[in-house]
Amino acid sequence: MASTTTPPRRKPPSRASVAVNYPLDWLEERSGLVGGTKYFLFRKVPGDINWMQTLGSATLTAFLIQLLTGVILAMYYKPDPNSAYASIVHITNDVTLGWLVRGMHKWGASMFIILMFLHMGRVFLFGAYKYPRELNWIVGALLIPIGLFEGFTGYLLPWDQTAYWATVVGININGTAPFLGPFIAQFLQGGAEIGPDTLSRFYSLHMLLLPGAIIGLIVLHLYLVVRLGVSSPPWSKDAAGMERPDDVQRGNGRAGLTRPTRRGGDV
Amino acid sequence: MEGSRPVDPHGPEHRPHVPSPSLWPVGFAIGVAILLTGLIVGWWIVLLGAIIAVLFGFLWIRDIGADARAAPEPELVQGAGGGPVVPGEGAAMPVMSDEEIERFPRSKFLEASTLGVGAIIGGLVTVPALGFAVLPAFTGAEDHNIDVGGVGDFPEGDWRIVTFLQNPDEGEVSRRTTFIRYNGELEGQPSFTIIANNCAHLGCPVQPSGPVADEEKKEERINGQVITRIPAQPAAFACPCHGGAYDLEGNRTAGPPVRALDRFAFAIDGDRLVLTSRYSVGTVEGEGKDAVITKYGQVPPGVHVDGPEQFLYPIEPPK
Amino acid sequence: MATGVDRRRAEFKRYKEDVQSRGKPFFPFAMWHDTVMSLVVVVITIALAAIWYFDSGEDPEDVGILGPRYTAEADPGTTSFVPRPDWFFFFLFYLLRIFKWPESVILGTVGIPTLCLILLLALPFLDVRAERRIIRRPVALVAGVLVIISMGVLTYKGATAEEGISTSGDVVEQWMTEGNLPPEARKGAELVAESGCLNCHTYRGVGSPNLGAPDLTEIGAQDQGKDYFHRYVANPRDFGNNVMPVYQSLGDENLDAIAAFLDASRNP
Repeated sequence: MASTTTPPRRKPPSRASVAVNYPLDWLEERSGLVGGTKYFLFRKVPGDINWMQTLGSATLTAFLIQLLTGVILAMYYKPDPNSAYASIVHITNDVTLGWLVRGMHKWGASMFIILMFLHMGRVFLFGAYKYPRELNWIVGALLIPIGLFEGFTGYLLPWDQTAYWATVVGININGTAPFLGPFIAQFLQGGAEIGPDTLSRFYSLHMLLLPGAIIGLIVLHLYLVVRLGVSSPPWSKDAAGMERPDDVQRGNGRAGLTRPTRRGGDV
Repeated sequence: MEGSRPVDPHGPEHRPHVPSPSLWPVGFAIGVAILLTGLIVGWWIVLLGAIIAVLFGFLWIRDIGADARAAPEPELVQGAGGGPVVPGEGAAMPVMSDEEIERFPRSKFLEASTLGVGAIIGGLVTVPALGFAVLPAFTGAEDHNIDVGGVGDFPEGDWRIVTFLQNPDEGEVSRRTTFIRYNGELEGQPSFTIIANNCAHLGCPVQPSGPVADEEKKEERINGQVITRIPAQPAAFACPCHGGAYDLEGNRTAGPPVRALDRFAFAIDGDRLVLTSRYSVGTVEGEGKDAVITKYGQVPPGVHVDGPEQFLYPIEPPK
Repeated sequence: MATGVDRRRAEFKRYKEDVQSRGKPFFPFAMWHDTVMSLVVVVITIALAAIWYFDSGEDPEDVGILGPRYTAEADPGTTSFVPRPDWFFFFLFYLLRIFKWPESVILGTVGIPTLCLILLLALPFLDVRAERRIIRRPVALVAGVLVIISMGVLTYKGATAEEGISTSGDVVEQWMTEGNLPPEARKGAELVAESGCLNCHTYRGVGSPNLGAPDLTEIGAQDQGKDYFHRYVANPRDFGNNVMPVYQSLGDENLDAIAAFLDASRNP
């Protein structure tokens, strides 16, 4: 059926928009990444989400701070018992803005741990570990001990008194586990007692294995968040997914799951 | 919804225009290579390479020119304005349908052998790497005999806090502290009580409960390492971490330590006190040279050696 | 009647429909909140780093409000250092102090923490009710509050846990001035500070009470006399005390000094 109105005249694309769109189209046709990014950015989330729900991305920011400052610190730190302490003193006192990078890394670690726990508490409060987000909770619950272990391995690296003795105790705590404990302790120490290999081991764990594991789990965690959606605060009057009166009249499931119906009271 | 088909500049029916096959570029490339080699080897080779390159280049260009004059003009078809391509259209790779899978019965053998070879590769790479990470922690520990001074450096009945390098090759990281008391002679041989200062709970440094004469510290260089000896008058030993307390024989008297403090076995070499190996202790009955020590192989702090909980640690890791 | 699984799937379907019809795009609505919060995190981290650095000095003894830049270099042979973990492990550290009996050590080191971690991981399978509002989840609410309070208390106790051995000379100064002690009490004060007495006794707020040992701040006020203190400290067994170590080996001169100090300790 032909329309009798003429379509509105479209302006030809401006040079600026072509300059932006052409490379994006080039990239999109060859990889699909632009579409993916647009999906991530413009996907819909419930309209009533709360400030508490920013804790997850705040934790990610803290982790990114750790990544960046850690990479820079690794350029100056010497992971050998004979030079580690001196390199830390050098970084803190002499290297330009070394104090800032080291300070951000040290305090960023505490921020990361605190934010992880707050985020976990928020998810617990919202009941957002329930169907279908159980897997995401498990991934997050795995991130907590790995994050704490990151803190533990990093604590040894300055090789000062605090570092050394806290590590002795920490390793021996692991050593008290039944059956495998002494093996774990010896593996961590690199020998029957703390020795020259211990620092290198902890450095490798702290720089390579654990960040790799954390990054992998974070990617999985974020993928699940995008796929499963962000939950509304449970007390919200217009929570996404709540039962509505018309659902009850149609007989869809039990009423009053998330909120009393508009007829008042629990049904 | 945004989307358009990929733009084909040649139109739907046009066959793609490519140059006819030709070997002249090969000769050109060889000529260029010889020219560059000549820059290192000698100028005559440069000249030879240049001649070859120019010759074949000329032949190549002549061919392209002839092709171009013979080919028709390509037609350009306008696309839909270059909108973004929907991911999946023209980008997705074909996937096997179920009937096609049936047509390849030998694929089961290929599947299995691919996985098998993959597993072998995985094993070849991972097992040595893991062995490298794990095994050295469980092998190669040696006992070193450490000379810590002459018997005369230890007056009878007095305690000395003695530090030494347990493994001189490793340097300061192997420094250990012991509390040593000379007990007099037992059956004609000097008797020493040599107690290690690592708490048997979780390894914190155990401190002497009593005055320590830091100003009388002696440092002696023996066999390439520095031994320190400091007089002290402990009435007991105590650990600052979690409240563990020990008596002067190393027996646990209070707190969470799970056994007595470790000790060192010793030998008398002439008139030198030499520490040999370290061992763990269950309990010590008696005092000084009359002490009867229940000896076990060295185990880490926190590991029970007697009582019902010893069965939690049945296997001692190799060292 | 819808089964549990169907009900949950129906709710999720509703959720997706609601978000599709009434949701807002992540950028810029949610991402704005995220970005502001991230800025707060970055600013706080930088502020902490700056305060820590500018309030401390190059010397490990130069300690500011956020602690020293580093302590002395690691000395595996030390006899005077008191180990402490990083602050976020204080709750585990104090748990170890609670489990004082050797048979129970393993509970505090690996038993309880492992159990808690397993419960944490298994939470979605332990709580299968669909209810998400906290006021209608009494078990979750109680468990959550208990966990927060106990971890908070354990962390605080771990942070303030006293170690028994305080060998710094400042403590003796503080005792002398606060307690108005005569000069002849000084030697005894130093001996008490370094002989591990504070492992079990407290004195003027220093030390950790252990095994029923009394506070010694005003012990002299009972007028038992220096001789009593000398004999008691030399051999507590004579007085029926089988817990305190025997300090005979300190020698008469040191024991007299300690007795003088204890006898002079009469002021609150």
